[in-house]
Amino acid sequence: MIARTENFPKLLEDLRPQCEEIIGRYEHSRSALLPLIHLFQEHEGYASSDAQRAVAQMLNLSPAVVESTVSFYTLFFRKPVGKYMLQVCRGLACSINGAENIMAYFREKLGIGHLQTTDDGVFSYEEVECLAACDRATCMQVNLEFVYDLTPQMIDEMLDAMRAGTYPVPPMAQTDAPQRTWKVVQDTQVSHGGKSIGAVDQPNPNNGSGVDKDGVIMIDRILAQEARFKGRTKERLANVEPSIKTVLEHEDLQ
Amino acid sequence: MPVTKVLTAGIGEADLRDIDVYRKRGGYKQLERAFKTMKPADVLEAADKSGLRGRGGAGFPTGRKWSFLPANDKPRYLVCNCDEAEPGTFKDHMLLEETPHLVLEGILLGAYGIGSHHAYIYIRGEFKRGAQIFNEAIEQARKAGFVGKNLFGSGYDLEVTVHRGAGAYICGEETALLNSLEGKRGEPRLKPPFPAVAGLYGMPTVVNNVETLAYLVPILENGAEWFAAVGTERSKGYKIISISGHVQKPGNYEVALGTPVRELIDIAGGLRQGRKLMAIQPGGGSSACIFEEHLDMPYDYESLAKAGTMLGSGAMVVMDDTTDFVRAAHNLVRFFAHESCGQCTPCREGGDWLETVLDRLVEGRGVPSDIDMLHRVGHQITGINLCPLGDSIEPFLLSVLKRFPEQFEARVIKETVSA
Repeated sequence: MIARTENFPKLLEDLRPQCEEIIGRYEHSRSALLPLIHLFQEHEGYASSDAQRAVAQMLNLSPAVVESTVSFYTLFFRKPVGKYMLQVCRGLACSINGAENIMAYFREKLGIGHLQTTDDGVFSYEEVECLAACDRATCMQVNLEFVYDLTPQMIDEMLDAMRAGTYPVPPMAQTDAPQRTWKVVQDTQVSHGGKSIGAVDQPNPNNGSGVDKDGVIMIDRILAQEARFKGRTKERLANVEPSIKTVLEHEDLQ
Repeated sequence: MPVTKVLTAGIGEADLRDIDVYRKRGGYKQLERAFKTMKPADVLEAADKSGLRGRGGAGFPTGRKWSFLPANDKPRYLVCNCDEAEPGTFKDHMLLEETPHLVLEGILLGAYGIGSHHAYIYIRGEFKRGAQIFNEAIEQARKAGFVGKNLFGSGYDLEVTVHRGAGAYICGEETALLNSLEGKRGEPRLKPPFPAVAGLYGMPTVVNNVETLAYLVPILENGAEWFAAVGTERSKGYKIISISGHVQKPGNYEVALGTPVRELIDIAGGLRQGRKLMAIQPGGGSSACIFEEHLDMPYDYESLAKAGTMLGSGAMVVMDDTTDFVRAAHNLVRFFAHESCGQCTPCREGGDWLETVLDRLVEGRGVPSDIDMLHRVGHQITGINLCPLGDSIEPFLLSVLKRFPEQFEARVIKETVSA
């Protein structure tokens, strides 16, 4: 592992001629933002904040503008990831051809879920949108190289080869310990249902989508509340909370 | 009508990435002819007369799109859209990697046709290999004198730049693509002004799909009349159809527009043994489904529009009776919710809510109001966003919801716990 903060200035100097060539391709320098981040990511394994700041300086932009742009794109990793980025297609054509089984197999074999990285820093795993290779479903990309017609046996061989360092696709540069591991945070998941259940061993606080801890279906709660606000009769006002009552009474006067 | 290989000719037989192989098969002859004997207006006229329509999804007539460029001295740009990400589409991926010189020749012809001196090709970030292949093709062409300064001694300079995206479906929308090309977030712009008036760097710009530009080469070779003679009245010429899903030989097949849907499925090897056809999504993830009663319908722009769907990018996903349509609808809604750029509230929030409702249904935890909510929310998203992404959420969902309501209703819990 390289101590990246000390090495970044040297990397920057090495890459500067290439950066200038890239900027020269465009009539307006800002267009070089994506290619420059791609370049740094290739050398650092992720779009580090050092790289983002350097790009901002080169293009005469504020660092916030660069970060805002970088964060829009899913192929820019803002946290260090594993040596092999495994991106399995979850598009419709793959999905109806068994992608869910393939994804479940990956999760089981790796012991991690969507957007997570293994502890040894070898694998990062993601489930991505249609990769435009539907004739060879189910498919995936390993460090952006396509792998087609996946089977469990292929996955076993692939993962073994990657661990042994004999896989034909070269590993990504790794200049920092992987930090990319999204965890399900209980409190933030209430309205989002099962969205983050990619993570294995992470209990879903809602026990299914939109159902809260007491087994009450959230939408019913909302609908029940809505019903209370239908109509503006004096009788109903007795049931609502004091603050709302004041507002309603005020409206009635209008 | 069988498969006709026009753009796909030679793929799988010869190494078309090699410029010498491509030239031996007649490659770059049309470019030379255009620069030596034709005016830009002649190229535009050929594109217009051929009846070629945009092959990326919207199906807008190419010649007319070019004619919107204002006659002024501002620099103008041609941008080739290779951000292929519509679920089910994989034709540009093939063209880019298998026959890059044909794509490049099409771009050069298009740029000449609109009088542009700098063309860009925006390649989806995932096609890293495709971008490498295309860069090599440009360098080969530069050595041969087809890219760069003073082409064929005409004094016309023409540069082509490859720009790689970084993973965003929305960048396939032309104004989002231009923003991304300018180094910004890939958020669609408010229109008008349309790109033809104020596009890349505020200059007149044309954005065309890979397949559209590639067709310029055979159109110039064989004449606009040759292309216009094929197809139906308003859908001229050939089209590469990406057929996937539950067929025996999924792949890209180039056919004349107007070929019946049944024949397309046969070309792709038919359904698997003993399976029954349930639905076909005819034009990419954004299109509504057609069903077995539509099998004899010609596959062209107007027939599909009449059936309430669209030809889109020409991606057919065939689904047989093993398909769970609640899951399929959830899959596509999740896709659009994930890919929404978040600028417009109906698309950002609506997509997310539909996903939440479908999450519940997939798990068999639907509540009685959910079915009604799917109808209602889908409808509220459509037609009120800056770009067509929001409008794409509803069609597939509603078409299968109407056709297979029992699959959705079966996921609703009958008795619910009340608050």
